[in-house]
Amino acid sequence: MNELFFIQHEVMPALLRGMIISVELIIPSAICGLCIGVVMGVLRVFGGPVLSRIADTYVMIFRGFPLVVQLFIWYFGLPHIGIYLSPFVASVVGFSLCSGAYHSEYIRGALLSIKRGQLLAAQSLGFTKTKMLISIIIPQAFRRALPGCGNEIIYLIKYSSLAYMITCIELTGQGKIIASETFKYTEIFFVVGLVYLALTTVASWLLLRVENRLRLPGFDHYSM
Amino acid sequence: MTVSFIAIYNALPYLLKGSMVTIGLVGGALLLGFSIGIFLAVGQVYGNVCLRSIIGLYVWFFRGVPLLVLLFLFYFGLFSLLEINLSAFTVAVVVLGLISSAYQSQIFRGAILSLPEGQLKAARALGMGDFTSIVFVILPQALRLSIPGWSNEYSIVLKDSAVAYALGVMEIMARAHFVASRTYEHLPLYFTAGMIFLLLTYIGTKGLRLLEKKVRIPGYTT
Amino acid sequence: MKEKPCVLRVENMTKRYGQKVVLQDATLSVDEGELKVLIGPSGGGKSTFLQCINFLVTPDKGRVWLDGKEILPNHKRDLYAYRQCVGMIFQDFNLFDHLTALENVRIGLTRVRGMEKEESKEKATVELDRVGLADHLHKYPAQLSGGQKQRVSIARALAMDPKVILLDEPTSALDPELITEVLAVIRNLRARGMTMVMSTHQIGFAREMADEIIFLEDGLILETGTSDKIFSCPKCERTKEFCSKIVELYGNSR
Repeated sequence: MNELFFIQHEVMPALLRGMIISVELIIPSAICGLCIGVVMGVLRVFGGPVLSRIADTYVMIFRGFPLVVQLFIWYFGLPHIGIYLSPFVASVVGFSLCSGAYHSEYIRGALLSIKRGQLLAAQSLGFTKTKMLISIIIPQAFRRALPGCGNEIIYLIKYSSLAYMITCIELTGQGKIIASETFKYTEIFFVVGLVYLALTTVASWLLLRVENRLRLPGFDHYSM
Repeated sequence: MTVSFIAIYNALPYLLKGSMVTIGLVGGALLLGFSIGIFLAVGQVYGNVCLRSIIGLYVWFFRGVPLLVLLFLFYFGLFSLLEINLSAFTVAVVVLGLISSAYQSQIFRGAILSLPEGQLKAARALGMGDFTSIVFVILPQALRLSIPGWSNEYSIVLKDSAVAYALGVMEIMARAHFVASRTYEHLPLYFTAGMIFLLLTYIGTKGLRLLEKKVRIPGYTT
Repeated sequence: MKEKPCVLRVENMTKRYGQKVVLQDATLSVDEGELKVLIGPSGGGKSTFLQCINFLVTPDKGRVWLDGKEILPNHKRDLYAYRQCVGMIFQDFNLFDHLTALENVRIGLTRVRGMEKEESKEKATVELDRVGLADHLHKYPAQLSGGQKQRVSIARALAMDPKVILLDEPTSALDPELITEVLAVIRNLRARGMTMVMSTHQIGFAREMADEIIFLEDGLILETGTSDKIFSCPKCERTKEFCSKIVELYGNSR
């Protein structure tokens, strides 16, 4: 009976607090990451020689450095040049910039997959560059990039646990704290694992539904 | 500025020794992932419904739970419970390996499924049994097709290996932090650590590309 | 004239895919050295019939006897042994893409028959020479023409010393100019006394070489008979219609 009481009043609220922090980390990071990804992806394809090189270098570094290293740089490294970020902010910055690099890969691939002939046809019809972007390019590129970007967000849900390593106490961090107090490591981390599993499963399901909603006949197969 | 460079210069041998640990982690994990992954892939493609469900569950679990949580679960939880005493390094290799096996199984599965149906039919028409046709006809082709996807998996496992730091494994990141907390040269040291990872990624992917060229069948496309 | 023994006997082969009946009560028997040819429109069940005979497709009903012995497909060992005695040539060749021509022919010998390396190499070389590909031993399938690929596939089947060979539209995937070389090989096999069951659209060839023609449509055997009977005075309206159209389309290629 004591166990149940304990679980209800100590463990669950703490884990819940942690989960709220996790969600507060994930949502802004996902949004910012996607925006950065779109900008970088567009720059890499349409940016001209200088900008595309810069964007390529950005992607190479942020995909090449482990996320842990990036987080450490923002939290422990920036103070070196006088910038002090809270663990939470450092985490969001780190997640956004890192996942932005991965998103840009999918965006780039999607943009490249749009057959050049369509752009020529649009131009010959008198479309302005902006109109072309909005009416022709984005509707197609969005559908093509959706699976990749969606999966990247699912990865983000899992990698948000690394915020613990720069002392941002989200779900995993809370789990560790409680587990070290109660020595019930197996049970606590099993529960924590199941929560993440639930989050990723729901996110995958949502992604599938969105993909199906937006599906166009015959559109799935890339022809480069 | 010069202080930073001196600090990096002094720390470099120590960091590079850490890269041996990292390579050990990555090599062990990829090997474990490969061995298990092949069985999972073959099981998922050619097995019965029951086997496929079990494998599906395994893949779902190890792709859905974060690495850090699994490391804690196994190191502090399961292995303690079962009273198995393993070093942090070993646990990290096991966990990284199990997770990688789930991802690798999907790479191999995709490659196997992309082969034309006729390959297996021709093997059976000659009288080949299940084992022979899978080992000598399907896998040689599927594994060649898997190399690009596998190259991606290598780079992912390499970066994930840095998380082993949370268990106290003295790989590159752990060592960088160790030196940084003594010299306060955090930024330059982490940047250097990052560059080492970048270098290891580059070497690995280049090596795999060479392997792909070496085992390429003239004119082979699917 | 000595009675030729019956090599292959098939009775009541039936196969359904969901509601659709693809093959219905197909029956066939082939004596030693005979060539029986299946003709008929595409989708009529010819391919399914052939693939049911060596159980690549599991029939819903039907029995098969090889040299008088019934084949029980549920016994894996027996099934594999049976398949070693029945060669199959596919429309799409189905060569093992990761192996050279020589290795394609050898693999059945080494991995199924358990032959020694040197012995298998010799035998494979002989078979490939017989189909005229002695200069292409070390080429990969991607480097061979369609006709050459099919000839390798024939050599691969022959290397197993089969009792009967099933040919599933062996020339349908070939460019017209390459068909002749494959037909020449098949003609050669006939002369050597190989027992064969073949489905084809090459009516001229069938007319010339077949001991019996079997007309299949919508999974049913509508008519069987010698080539003279079928082409000169077919019993069935459908057979007449099909044959005349085909001769018009494909001509009488020899």
